[in-house]
Amino acid sequence: MTNIENRPVLAVENYSLDYETANGPYHALKNINLSINRGEILGLVGESGSGKTSLAWSIMRYLPQNAGEPGGRILLGGDNLLEKSEREMETFRGRRISMVFQDPSTSLNPTLSLGTQLTEVLIRHRGLTRQQAWKEGEALLDRVGLKTPGQMMLRMPHEASGGEKQRVVIASAFACNPECIIFDEPTTALDVITSRQILDLFVELQAETGVASLYISHDLALVARTAGRVAVIKRGDIVEQGTVRDIFTNPQQDYTKELIAAVPDPSHRLVKDDVAITETPLVKVEKVSVHFGRKPFLAALTGKKTERVTGNNAISLSVNPGEILGIVGESGSGKSTLAKAMTGLNRFEGKIWFDGREIKSLSDMDNAYRKDVQIIFQHPDASLNPRQKISEILSRPLKLFGDATDLEKKVGDMLEQVRLPRTHANRYPHQLSGGEKQRVAIARAFASKPKLVICDEITSALDVSVQASVVELLLELQKASGTAYLFITHDLNLIRQIAHRIAVMYRGDLIEVVKAEEIDSPDRADYTRRLIEAVPRAAANYQ
Amino acid sequence: MIVYTLFIVSLIVFAITQILPADAAVMMLGENATQEALDALRQTMGLDAPIWQQYFSWLWHVVQGDLGTSLRTGQPVGPVMFEALGRSLLLAVLSIGLMLVLAIPLGIIAAVRRGKIADMLVSLVSYAGVALPEFVTATIAVLVFADWMKWLPPTGYVPLTENFTAGLAHLVLPVCVISVILIAHVSRMVRSELVDVLHTDYIRAARLKGIPRREVLRRHALRNALLPTITIVALDVGYLLGGVIVVEEIFAIPGIGRQLIVAIQARDLPAIQAGVLIMAATYSIVNFIADILYAWLDKRIQYD
Repeated sequence: MTNIENRPVLAVENYSLDYETANGPYHALKNINLSINRGEILGLVGESGSGKTSLAWSIMRYLPQNAGEPGGRILLGGDNLLEKSEREMETFRGRRISMVFQDPSTSLNPTLSLGTQLTEVLIRHRGLTRQQAWKEGEALLDRVGLKTPGQMMLRMPHEASGGEKQRVVIASAFACNPECIIFDEPTTALDVITSRQILDLFVELQAETGVASLYISHDLALVARTAGRVAVIKRGDIVEQGTVRDIFTNPQQDYTKELIAAVPDPSHRLVKDDVAITETPLVKVEKVSVHFGRKPFLAALTGKKTERVTGNNAISLSVNPGEILGIVGESGSGKSTLAKAMTGLNRFEGKIWFDGREIKSLSDMDNAYRKDVQIIFQHPDASLNPRQKISEILSRPLKLFGDATDLEKKVGDMLEQVRLPRTHANRYPHQLSGGEKQRVAIARAFASKPKLVICDEITSALDVSVQASVVELLLELQKASGTAYLFITHDLNLIRQIAHRIAVMYRGDLIEVVKAEEIDSPDRADYTRRLIEAVPRAAANYQ
Repeated sequence: MIVYTLFIVSLIVFAITQILPADAAVMMLGENATQEALDALRQTMGLDAPIWQQYFSWLWHVVQGDLGTSLRTGQPVGPVMFEALGRSLLLAVLSIGLMLVLAIPLGIIAAVRRGKIADMLVSLVSYAGVALPEFVTATIAVLVFADWMKWLPPTGYVPLTENFTAGLAHLVLPVCVISVILIAHVSRMVRSELVDVLHTDYIRAARLKGIPRREVLRRHALRNALLPTITIVALDVGYLLGGVIVVEEIFAIPGIGRQLIVAIQARDLPAIQAGVLIMAATYSIVNFIADILYAWLDKRIQYD
């Protein structure tokens, strides 16, 4: 499949990169070798901190001051980029090699119109006048599938959706027909359905232009859908490189095997469907609505009507004892809003029945309720107080809800329960890794022996392999304690593995609640079907 | 919103002057006046009415543009205060102008050359500027430029309409003294904002589109970095109003600050009320304009 006679468009040869730090040099990349031919997509897969983005910066020649390059070459169509001056690179970037970034909401300047940001590439590299560039820009936006290009050009970034913005970013990357484009996790910040559309657009444009593409991602399943070849990077080392099929069917390295095993596979269920749907559920949410925004002072005085934003629109669902109920939906669909209402962080209308008790408002959520209903948040960095030791963090719920005798031993037991060494009690959160921090957050939630734990996207900030181990831990705890989970996630493959039932939410409404194994049946609601179709499952095809 | 603010300010101003240990009637008639004379005067001045009535009658006159009559001179205070305000505003506008011309480039240089010698020099100078109060810088400035060098007149005020060059010469020292602190403050602000902006993803994205550094700075970074500066400058007007009082006193400029000091010394209640109200109104209006300007420049912000 690779044409050996042709010189590769991009070739990285024996390239190493160091960062000078206070603790001596840090080897970010070690002897990297890879090449991409015209028309080819090379997937670069690795966990956070593996050096995949560092490699992108190296290729773009956009390195921080403390970077050092002990050796190697980076060739773009035969030109060694390491020997190019900054001025020469400025003429290369955007014209011969360009980049699509992870989050379109931060990679576009908030105070310049989309058209201005798109045309500046054309003006700079193709020497067009402002009017020509504007016209060309509209044509480009049309090409990336935006419906009203003329109007879109005039919009400011905050007036466009994430998907629309990412299309604009892609349009500017393709604007000058570059030889090579680096895609740095271009769909990670987008919704499931939007990211599917962006991915389709990328595949289409790539086939049309034949641009050599380096597709960086942490998601093996996603790379398998797009790339022809995959390189697996671990701690600055490329451990394995080969065609997608080879990597999936015959991985050589343990690390690659681990990565593949960690990818959630919906056909491989991790829980038994033994939860009875009872007449007396543990929690019953009855027509709970959440509205945001308060009346401005002036409007209240003048009696002017103000529109409130609806976060949840009359949601009714129930969780049975020991059940794992998954909630899926796009960002902004009201998943977390519901979780916050149930834990008393959002005001709500409607009723919540918990264990036979009626909760009508926040004031009904007393200590006993809070003891029984615990929440774990997405970012452990934000939910653990950075100035408290782990022991302090974990002893707080014990003092609040349990008996505070023999705290030291109990904290140690809790840490052991979540597979952390007892000695971690003396550490501060910043001394732990992301996965370890989330384990501490889990231990904290379980400290009060709750009946329901709400997990709000708790694995989405973690790497795939770490996610797998955290999920495993959660399932074990569930088995041991019989706690029910409300598991909020946007990862459909994961939730299909672990949930008993799945609730699908869309723009504040509950679309439906279905049994996990029936979610891909054709009788599902339109939106659910679209969601299921959008999720890349290619990994399964090779297994 | 600004109407509410001004209303509340008028309440506070009135309340403060009520608390002041001064009786207008005693002030006018002197310590030895008879009780009958005092009572009669209080009645004609409406000082025997309940406080809220006094307040609303005062407010009603203020709304109509009548700020009251000075107890000291017997003249209406409004025209005097507004004339003084005009002189103070001239001083303030010139100071802000000088500040903007110097502070923004200094902040930009410091941010772009972060950690280099230029950055440290700017930091040093701005620390010195923040640390020295205006009466110290003013005294030093008068000593050096007026007393030793004899380049500029030490104190006094000449209207620009009367003698332009002399008027300008009298303004140079006060303007410089006021701007020093502003420059220190604003250049540090510009620097830190710009440093933040230069680390954003969209700046990196622009650079990786092949846009040269200088142009990225001009088109992408500066606008976003300077936006918060508008708010800071508007807030600094508050400092300016206070600082102006000191500087006007030192340089003997008959601005609103000086008028206010005279009024306070003479326990001239209507004049104090008028002066404070005018200053508060100026501050509110400036900040109101700044908010509108900000919303106009940053399209993401919308006010209902």
